[in-house]
Amino acid sequence: MQPLATVYFLTVRSLREAVRNPAQEVGNIFVPLFFFAVTVGSIGSIAADAFGIDNFTGFQVPVAILSAASSISASAGLGTITDIQRGYFDKLLLTPAPRSAIVLGRIAADGVRAVIITGVIVVVGLIFRTGFDTGVFGVIVLLAGSFFFGTAYSGFNAAVALRTGSPQAAAAGGLLLFPLIFLSTAFAPKEVFADWLQVLATINPITYILEAQRSLIIEGWNGLDLLRGAAAIVGFGIASFTLTFLALRWRTS
Amino acid sequence: MRLVKTRHNISKFAERTQCPTLDSVSAIWAKGLVKHFDEVRAVDGIDLDIAPGTIFGFLGQNGSGKTTTIRMLTTLLRPTAGSARVDGLDILDDARAVRRRIGVALQEAGLDDIQTGRELLTLQARLFGMGGNARRQRVDELLTVVDLEDAADRAIGTYSGGMKRRLDLAAALVHRPGIIFLDEPTTGLDPVSREAIWRYVNRLSVEDGITVFLTTQYLEEADRLAHDLAIIDEGRIIARGSPAEMKASIGTDVVTVEVPAADGLGRAAEVAAGVAGVERVQIADGAAVVYVPDGARAVARIVLALDDAGIEVGDVGISRPSLDDVFLEATGHHLRVEEPAAAEGGAA
Repeated sequence: MQPLATVYFLTVRSLREAVRNPAQEVGNIFVPLFFFAVTVGSIGSIAADAFGIDNFTGFQVPVAILSAASSISASAGLGTITDIQRGYFDKLLLTPAPRSAIVLGRIAADGVRAVIITGVIVVVGLIFRTGFDTGVFGVIVLLAGSFFFGTAYSGFNAAVALRTGSPQAAAAGGLLLFPLIFLSTAFAPKEVFADWLQVLATINPITYILEAQRSLIIEGWNGLDLLRGAAAIVGFGIASFTLTFLALRWRTS
Repeated sequence: MRLVKTRHNISKFAERTQCPTLDSVSAIWAKGLVKHFDEVRAVDGIDLDIAPGTIFGFLGQNGSGKTTTIRMLTTLLRPTAGSARVDGLDILDDARAVRRRIGVALQEAGLDDIQTGRELLTLQARLFGMGGNARRQRVDELLTVVDLEDAADRAIGTYSGGMKRRLDLAAALVHRPGIIFLDEPTTGLDPVSREAIWRYVNRLSVEDGITVFLTTQYLEEADRLAHDLAIIDEGRIIARGSPAEMKASIGTDVVTVEVPAADGLGRAAEVAAGVAGVERVQIADGAAVVYVPDGARAVARIVLALDDAGIEVGDVGISRPSLDDVFLEATGHHLRVEEPAAAEGGAA
């Protein structure tokens, strides 16, 4: 069995699971959109004067996208644990399919779900007149970035799920992103931060992912921002996939 | 008769796997297989040599090491020590090739409740590299074999326990394996569903020549299905042979004498052991188990001797040796069956 074919079949299976459990997907999109609306509604009117940001709605769209990706991957971690607890994960391990591909199938499905949810958030943003400075091609780049971020971040939850087999731990794993978001430029530019927070935001990879996404939405093409954002996602991916494969090796040894 | 049938199965197995030297190899072979979980020796040096085409029963109570053994043989768990070959392939060096040649249905039917039965079998077939019409035909064929055509397009979450076990069995067979491992396939099922699974398992061996490695905690299941049997207790194989050979090894009838007074049991065993013809006596579960030729004649002598000794006697039973007697003789205790909270199944 070819690894890519395995990933494809198991991605389809995970997406089918998502389609048949729509309540979970509604939850994944509702919470980020709720915080998006509340944040824009509460400080959007002062953002121009306080932070020098004219399009604060567009400024907030990437935060909603990353929050949604986080929710998706947390639920995927729970899916992996359900498979483990029901014995279905063992059934997959008992096929000749490469074991890494079995795990990557669900992770890739998270990437696809992140793309879909990003599309929804972009549409909501456009309804709220965020605009999209880089046009259709920029939307495609944003969606591609969401796929890679979704898969990279999902790896952390897969690692927690494989290592612990605990639903509680998997749910907690999904919260990893939230402190990183609050320690980034999620709600205001770095320049208005206290010195210590500026340092943390500078070393926080989420800052660069947000800035790359923002550049596509409200600034126009910015190669340096995109490169930094891509590098941050790659870094996330290397870290999360390393942990995932170590956890897989532990579980199957 | 058995020899003829086994040779017939070996021949079918050789055809299936196109292995000309199969007669000279075991379907499953293990030497000194050990698995430790920290300080616990779950499996403690198991040797196996299972002929192709046979149903091998692995009988033991919960926690005896059956499932750990099966998980090692199916490449899900690495042995702490020892070696094993399945269909001639090393379980560590050729793990992926082993997985191609075996089918496995683990103790808990490992299914995905959200998929339909047909989707699950189709995915399973795809993961074994089956494509196109061959895959579709095989899935349809298996759904028919396990009587699930009508439920094929329903979510597995709506299936009864018996239906799930049958689907799990079908999933294990989808790629036409030559060897199948079934870990307690009927535990928790109602008698009707259990009978259906037994029928399928027997068909696998008799009609298809598949080697079946079956773990069970049910004596009747082992007796009904297994051509060859091993009893495992505390991680070790303590008896081995066909069910008939094992029962014959007891060689005598079994007279079970219940003694209501707990403090009288030891004395009752002493008295019974002194009765003419009695070969040996064991104490188990509040009764003296007396092994004696021609139990029907001996029972009166035993009861009279106990009465003369002033020992009150409760229920008395005579039986031909059963696998439980074999188990008792080998372990010193009866086989304790642990059922899930409620047996389930149903044909719907």
